[in-house]
Amino acid sequence: MSRPSDLVQGTLDLLILKTLAIEPRHGWGIAKRIRQVSGDVLQVTQGSLYPALHRLEQHGWLKAAWVTTETGREAKIYSLTSAGRKQLAKELESWDRLSAAIHLVVREA
Amino acid sequence: MTRWMRVLLLRFRSLFIRSTVDRDLDRELRFHLEEQVEELVAAGASRQDAREAALREFGSPASITQQCRETRRVNSLQNLLQDTRYALRTLAKQPMLLVTAASSIALGAGANLAIFGLANSLLLSTPTAARPDRLVHLRTNSGSHTSYSAWRELDASGVMAGIAGYDIESDMNWRGRDVSIGVMPLVVTANFFDVMGIPLAMGRAFTAAEASADRDPRVAVLSHRFWTARLGGDPSVLGSSVILNGHAYVVLGVLPSDLRSLPGYGLSPEMFIPISPALAPNLHAPRAGHLQLIGRLRDGQTAEGAWAALNVAASHWAGEDPLHTGFIRVVDPVGGLYQVKELKEVGAFFAVLLLVTALVLAIACANVAGLLVARSAARQKEIALRMALGATRTRIVQQLLTEGSVLAVAGTIAGVAITAGVARLISRVALPLPVPFDLNVTFDTRLAVLSVALVLVSTLLCALAPALQATRGVLSPGLKQETRTFGPRRFGMRGVLVTGQVAVSVLLLVTTVLFLRNLGLANSLDPGFDAAHTVVAQISFVEGRQGEASNQAVEGIVERLRGLASVEAATFTQGVPLTFRYGGSTGTMMRIEGRAAPVRVEYATNSVGSDYFRVMGIRLLRGREFTNADRGDGRRVIVNEEFVRRYFEGLEPIGRTVFLHGDPEAIPAEVVGVVANSKYRSIGEDREAALYTPFLTPRPPARFAHVLVRTSGPPESVTTSVKDAVLRTDPAAAVSVEPMTTALAFAFWPSRIGAVLVGSLGALGALLAMIGLYGVVSFAVARRTAEIGVRLALGATRRAIALLVFRDGATLVFTGMVIGLGLALLATRPLAWFLVADLPPTDPISFVGTILLLGLTSLAAGWSPTRRAMKIEPAKTLRTE
Repeated sequence: MSRPSDLVQGTLDLLILKTLAIEPRHGWGIAKRIRQVSGDVLQVTQGSLYPALHRLEQHGWLKAAWVTTETGREAKIYSLTSAGRKQLAKELESWDRLSAAIHLVVREA
Repeated sequence: MTRWMRVLLLRFRSLFIRSTVDRDLDRELRFHLEEQVEELVAAGASRQDAREAALREFGSPASITQQCRETRRVNSLQNLLQDTRYALRTLAKQPMLLVTAASSIALGAGANLAIFGLANSLLLSTPTAARPDRLVHLRTNSGSHTSYSAWRELDASGVMAGIAGYDIESDMNWRGRDVSIGVMPLVVTANFFDVMGIPLAMGRAFTAAEASADRDPRVAVLSHRFWTARLGGDPSVLGSSVILNGHAYVVLGVLPSDLRSLPGYGLSPEMFIPISPALAPNLHAPRAGHLQLIGRLRDGQTAEGAWAALNVAASHWAGEDPLHTGFIRVVDPVGGLYQVKELKEVGAFFAVLLLVTALVLAIACANVAGLLVARSAARQKEIALRMALGATRTRIVQQLLTEGSVLAVAGTIAGVAITAGVARLISRVALPLPVPFDLNVTFDTRLAVLSVALVLVSTLLCALAPALQATRGVLSPGLKQETRTFGPRRFGMRGVLVTGQVAVSVLLLVTTVLFLRNLGLANSLDPGFDAAHTVVAQISFVEGRQGEASNQAVEGIVERLRGLASVEAATFTQGVPLTFRYGGSTGTMMRIEGRAAPVRVEYATNSVGSDYFRVMGIRLLRGREFTNADRGDGRRVIVNEEFVRRYFEGLEPIGRTVFLHGDPEAIPAEVVGVVANSKYRSIGEDREAALYTPFLTPRPPARFAHVLVRTSGPPESVTTSVKDAVLRTDPAAAVSVEPMTTALAFAFWPSRIGAVLVGSLGALGALLAMIGLYGVVSFAVARRTAEIGVRLALGATRRAIALLVFRDGATLVFTGMVIGLGLALLATRPLAWFLVADLPPTDPISFVGTILLLGLTSLAAGWSPTRRAMKIEPAKTLRTE
């Protein structure tokens, strides 16, 4: 099982932003979606997910609202702000650069 | 909602409603947990197992909460708030420290604010006007004042948006219901208010059309002070009239109370009246100096542009009149630093004062720093513990600085309050000055900026040194409570602070003693005339009652006085030297018989009666005094030695003709006498040229005169009889009689104000430094109690102990003194400007006096700690060790 500390530093932010770019979700939904899409490779624990969410919210990249789910429970739904969208684009670009660079080093050398 | 607003909102939410934020997080985490349980249940686990598994995976909710909090708290805002709260809490536990430190800073900051406020109000203030930045002073070559016709021509040229003229008029009296007093109006051109755009508190100002001099206008706009103090703030004043020089002037308006009037320097004329032939009989004389000019620049016009265009407009003057050199010389912006340029000495004096107050603040801050160092020594354990627990040095320095800034803010606020109180007190007290004066110290932007700067500076001065010192320590000894060591005999940071304080107080005290010595010497300066046996009566007649007969009235008074037994001689004169009405000063071009070209002359002038020089005790060197016969056409003058030396080029003075400016031609006048030099305007002035004309010529009749009496006995003995003589002639005359020495007090005002201000600041600084010395020596004794106990137990004599303690303090003081004396030798050099000629800034008496004074006070400060050290009981201290 992959813990977030194994992730390249900073990619958790990218994963969260990317996940929320599709549609607003609550914290549980974000973790579940990342797990499913990565084929259970990436498991985001609560201990890193919520501090990250709060940090992104403090930066003004996410906004949050309380809604009542169909099961009748109250959930905090996060969505991207326009600043968040810009940040996502920036992080995607740097991710592309970084992964390409790593790929070069690992495969070509 | 923009991003920044949202971020800010969130930060404030986490700061102030932390409990809500935490509860929200709690709800969020619970939701997550429940979702996870639901998923496991859906996958087929029992609810119980699912819950346990979820909790296991979830980890500690408290740690997540803490981490989330950390992410929210990355901003320093929270730290600052926390530090401030902590500082307030710890300071509240030590009210003595808080009060001592804050009041120290309050005194320092208050002194700074008060002096700067005064300088701001007197020197840097901009006059109240619409767009004052577009106003410029105009000066012509002929001097500060320009003729009425020149003003009219310049204004009519249309070069500027408008040019107005003004002048302080000192020979006016106002008749109230049953008083008659001298007032000092600003006489202005009719368009003055149109050009200046001064707002009024009540009523309206006069316009150029209605107040034109040709219509002999009789209207007035009153100052707020005159309206409240003399007319009782009568709301129905508009449209009523005030009697000035016997004529009724209709009151059109009242100026606002916070008006900064045009002459600047805090002068506040009692009323504004339009110039008219009644006020200036020779109004149309081509070379008479009636008005100071002020112009408003056109949109887009620069001062240089205006200067050039005005000179073109005035260029034809040169061809018409060779004596007329009335070209525009300077065009200066109004207000601000340009005023200081004119009044260099006062400006420099304030610069010295500001420097002195800055030094006082530095000493005060050093005291506070000393207190904080002592306290941080006591808090070493706490600080060591916090550092051991992982606080960074930056974090602790930040916290200690916050403590300092709390003290600085408290102190500065108190300082502002003190200044405001003092300013209100000053503005309420009528200053014993012969001129209307409004200090108007207001808390404006400049003062606000200064206050903030003071807070910053005093925070750094007070807290930076202690904070750095406190965090430099090694951890383990602090934790092991080994604070009372028999360590090396060092005072550390506090020693450095006290040495610095002593050095600065040497500088302060030398300055103080210099100013005090200056006062002493100025008092004994020779004014060039005999003030000890003379009585001055200042008389102002109610116009209309004496009418054209005022000359005879004055003569009658003097005749009556000459008959008195104790009176040796009596005379009348227009001005009395070294008083506010000293006569006048003239700078002009003069033709002197025997010299080819007109000469530029500058001289003090006065109109005096027969026997003037005898009464004043001024030696007559050549020729004769004025007689009553000289008064007919006034074409005789007497000059002083300096005038002859400067302008006569060795020509025989007696019988020589000089040409005085006048209407319509220059008036020829014959020199009939030469007298010794004396002082005219100020006691500190250099040798000045002087020219006397006969007083009480038929035209214009005197509204205002001084009567001088020389007595054989003490001057006080005749004051009543002089007053009687005046009132018997005219019971309605305004008269004040005083010995000459009292009347001269005005001349000593500058050196007195200087001595009082600098003296009290210097004393304040020295006192603060001594408190600091006392503190540091006491602290050293307290810290070394055990050591002293051991020494005593081992057989040291009390004397040796006293010497030991004393030597410590003496080292600090001595080092400080040496540094301070070096500083003082350099820094007092510019003071020469303010000191009388016989007093060099390196005056040995001042320096030796300072050393003695400081040495004695240091002894006093060290005395009680030393005694305490001598009284230490070895047995007792060793037991507590």
